[in-house]
Amino acid sequence: MALTRRQFLKWAGATGVGAVVFNGCSVPDEEIRVQSPLELPEDLVTGRDNYYATVSPADGEGLLVRVMEGRAKKVEGNPDYPINGGKHGVRTEGLLQALYHPDRIAQPLTRIAPKVGPFRRMGWPEGLETLKATLEAAEPGSVLIVTPPLRGALAGVVRSFANAYGARAAGFEPIGQAPLRRAVADVFGQQALPDFDISRANYIISFGADFLGTWVAPTRFMRGYGEFRQGHRARGRLVQVETRMSPTAAVADEWVYVNPGTEGRLAMAMAYVIIEDGVPPGGTDRAYTGGGGLGQIADYRPGAVAGAVGLPVERIVELARAFADSSHSPALAIGGGSAGAYSNGAANLRAVYALNHLVGAANRPGGVIYNPAPEGDRVDSLSLREWKDELERMRSGEVKVALIKDANLLYGLPAELDAAGALGNVETVVSFSAFLDETAAAAAVILPGHTPLEEWGSDAPEPGPGYRTAGYQQPVVRRFRDTMAFGDVLLQMGAQLGLEGMPGATMREAVRAEARAAHKTGRGSVRAPTFEEFWKRALERGGWWDASAVARSTSPVRQVAKSVAAPAFFGDARRYPFHLVPFEANALGAGQLSHVPWLQSMPDPMTTVAWSSWVELNPQTAKRMDIAQQDVVLVEASNGRFIRAPVYLNPATPPDVAAVPFGQGHAQFTSFAAGRGANLFDILSSGEERDTGALAWAGTRVRITKTNRRAKLPSLEGPDPAVQLADQPIIYIQRSNGGSGAAH
Amino acid sequence: MVTTPDLDRDLTKRPRERSWGMVVDLDRCTGCQACVIACVAENNIPINDESHYHEGRVMSWIRVERYWEGEFPNVKARFIPLMCQHCENAPCEPVCPVYATYHNNEGLNVQVYNRCVGTRYCANNCPYHARSFNYWEPVWPEDLRHQLNPDVTVRSRGVMEKCTMCVQRIRRATRGRDDVPDGEFAPACVQACPTQTLTFGDLNDKSSRVYELSHDERNYTVLKSLGTAPNVTYLKKVED
Repeated sequence: MALTRRQFLKWAGATGVGAVVFNGCSVPDEEIRVQSPLELPEDLVTGRDNYYATVSPADGEGLLVRVMEGRAKKVEGNPDYPINGGKHGVRTEGLLQALYHPDRIAQPLTRIAPKVGPFRRMGWPEGLETLKATLEAAEPGSVLIVTPPLRGALAGVVRSFANAYGARAAGFEPIGQAPLRRAVADVFGQQALPDFDISRANYIISFGADFLGTWVAPTRFMRGYGEFRQGHRARGRLVQVETRMSPTAAVADEWVYVNPGTEGRLAMAMAYVIIEDGVPPGGTDRAYTGGGGLGQIADYRPGAVAGAVGLPVERIVELARAFADSSHSPALAIGGGSAGAYSNGAANLRAVYALNHLVGAANRPGGVIYNPAPEGDRVDSLSLREWKDELERMRSGEVKVALIKDANLLYGLPAELDAAGALGNVETVVSFSAFLDETAAAAAVILPGHTPLEEWGSDAPEPGPGYRTAGYQQPVVRRFRDTMAFGDVLLQMGAQLGLEGMPGATMREAVRAEARAAHKTGRGSVRAPTFEEFWKRALERGGWWDASAVARSTSPVRQVAKSVAAPAFFGDARRYPFHLVPFEANALGAGQLSHVPWLQSMPDPMTTVAWSSWVELNPQTAKRMDIAQQDVVLVEASNGRFIRAPVYLNPATPPDVAAVPFGQGHAQFTSFAAGRGANLFDILSSGEERDTGALAWAGTRVRITKTNRRAKLPSLEGPDPAVQLADQPIIYIQRSNGGSGAAH
Repeated sequence: MVTTPDLDRDLTKRPRERSWGMVVDLDRCTGCQACVIACVAENNIPINDESHYHEGRVMSWIRVERYWEGEFPNVKARFIPLMCQHCENAPCEPVCPVYATYHNNEGLNVQVYNRCVGTRYCANNCPYHARSFNYWEPVWPEDLRHQLNPDVTVRSRGVMEKCTMCVQRIRRATRGRDDVPDGEFAPACVQACPTQTLTFGDLNDKSSRVYELSHDERNYTVLKSLGTAPNVTYLKKVED
């Protein structure tokens, strides 16, 4: 049939109209959806992503880093890694911004004129030649290598270099764990920090340790805490004894305020009650009595210490009986943080940890889990007492060359020690930091190091999970700036200076040498016929761990908690009426992470303040002093030093306490940290913990004076502390006795 | 390289009905902020500098609120993570004049950035304060742009934004798959949370963990009296 043009147009028109009419009788669902059927931006795929396993030695966490097109995009927990099991803490995410930080030192620098004046850029050949010439010219004994506490391959490289060259290696961390280590060694006979089996405990009493916030390994402890509360067993009970309400105290069933420095005496009194009542089955009182009977600790009967501790006798008895109650078994006692930061810190912690022997919680499920003794080299932190000696050596000219990697002495030592003056007397300071912190700014030469996502390394996490664990750190991206790993610099120097006994030519080789030892055991999470296969698979999994390699050594319980002396405070109580209670900032630590903008912008959990320092005062105390929220006050210590910061009226702050976070007050350390807030180390007394010589950072007394200034606090909740509305609460409470309702 | 690998998929085929939801167990939460920073990193949320706090214009898709109760020594501090509740009866949706916010067929309250004209009616109507408005063009120092997640649009000035339950992760995990095992993937906040306060999954899947927890005896929804029917269920904190 011939089709004319007119006919075609008629039919086409009729068909089109019909299609519209009949289709209109049943509109398909997708046509009335508001959702665009086009590809949304989220559907676009931009390249292929790869995940690389590595570890963060500073946190001990195993990580998976998402990398696309050669750029790291996201840090996540490694689900395989025994420490954090796929989870990560708030600080870990900051590794990304450290990598791409706009203020990173981009290449080696040297002073135009010796020790003064601006830096000029130089290449690595000149930088390494400068370092070599410095080391060749120096008397080896006059060279000091300063790093944070190190474990794993880098510790081996630093130790090997120091030994072969003849230098000394010193670890530095602003808030050390020496009293904790001493207590663990004395009470349990263990060299490695133990793990705490939080998930299987039924009752936990913690003295001063903000273990769900900032203390030791919070991500690991929080994993256990979730199960402790709402796992498959009965809900555990948590009691927190602390001088400031930390996040751990906030979520505890009971927060018990005791007078600062009396935590150990409270533990002794609890022990007295428990021993008097009869030591529970499986427990022993030898740590307190040495087998000599209750008379050994007669000075610590509750009535004798209640006044000093600040608790009624009945309350002490109640706490003791709850801890020893068989229905609460297994019970666990943890101590640390501020409880170990007084002049009597180690004794406090010995008295606390010995409670675990009383209830048979030492190296038992639900209690303190011993870790195998550390293997390989370590660089441990020197105590403050030892650092005072080092500073004297600097002043006397005994130290002529200081090689400093990520140890910010000029920020983190109490200012009254004048570390800047001491370091200024050292002929040549070489910094290996990736950022221009206060100490790097005082260096003559800067040979900038990698950030953790760019370098090889290994970690023996501490505390471990109760068995031998090695995490392998690998570069997940190529170096972003013209930097070189500190370990590689030392290994190159070792080769150029002809030193013997270095663990390899590169950090990668040093890590592989460690991995060979793991491979040879033929046990553990990765087993392979050849080392290369083992290496590949261990890197893929982020490390190697051997659940059969547990702590073997158990020592008889010795009498280690016979007495706890009263704490010495630095400052007269009448002239300096407030206890200064410092605390680590949730995200910034003790100032090591203040350069990371994400971490600066994270609100403090308790006050919701970010980017700033503040002074927490009791509202009633402040009212008596005519101090209002956001008034700037002067916090003055007995050494004549002071800081200024705005007040946060904290209803949980005890009347005679002024709580101030560490972390701010940098003079340098990138545009995100410099000139912000106050550095608490500026006013801290350099008083020491008696047994270990560690900084007694919680022992300073201060006075508070109102100034005529106000400063707006950058906080999430706004100018007034948030309370729930009575008619529209958003947090509901289930009473453990079966009741339920809104929290008002 | 930008590719759109499945543009030729059958766009008329409706996927299996899912209802993505979350459970927040307040008895596990310690207020640690790991969820907050994980969300910031995953979703290209601009850095909240000090001025954002001063002006009350903090950009966050999830925040942890802390409420005081009482005074020393009888004092409590309680934490609650709050994010978009992905309400079935979302007050933000009907007020948007340009359909920039709507409910998709997987239970998500979705924001289409390139439709948004910035009236902020939705934020006014959200009782949970879950929405953040871009008062400024988001700016990152040049080098920090390398960390941006290429799966997530960087929102421009004048656009409203909020929690998507990491829809980019949902799409990656479910593209072309009707059955995704429970727990195979999670939004960034859930993945990071050390205490497992947050649980994510398909509320239509009765075998899922999120379904089981959402029916726990401690369950409640925030501001229930408003009748918003959230897809986020809270479990009460337990106290003496």
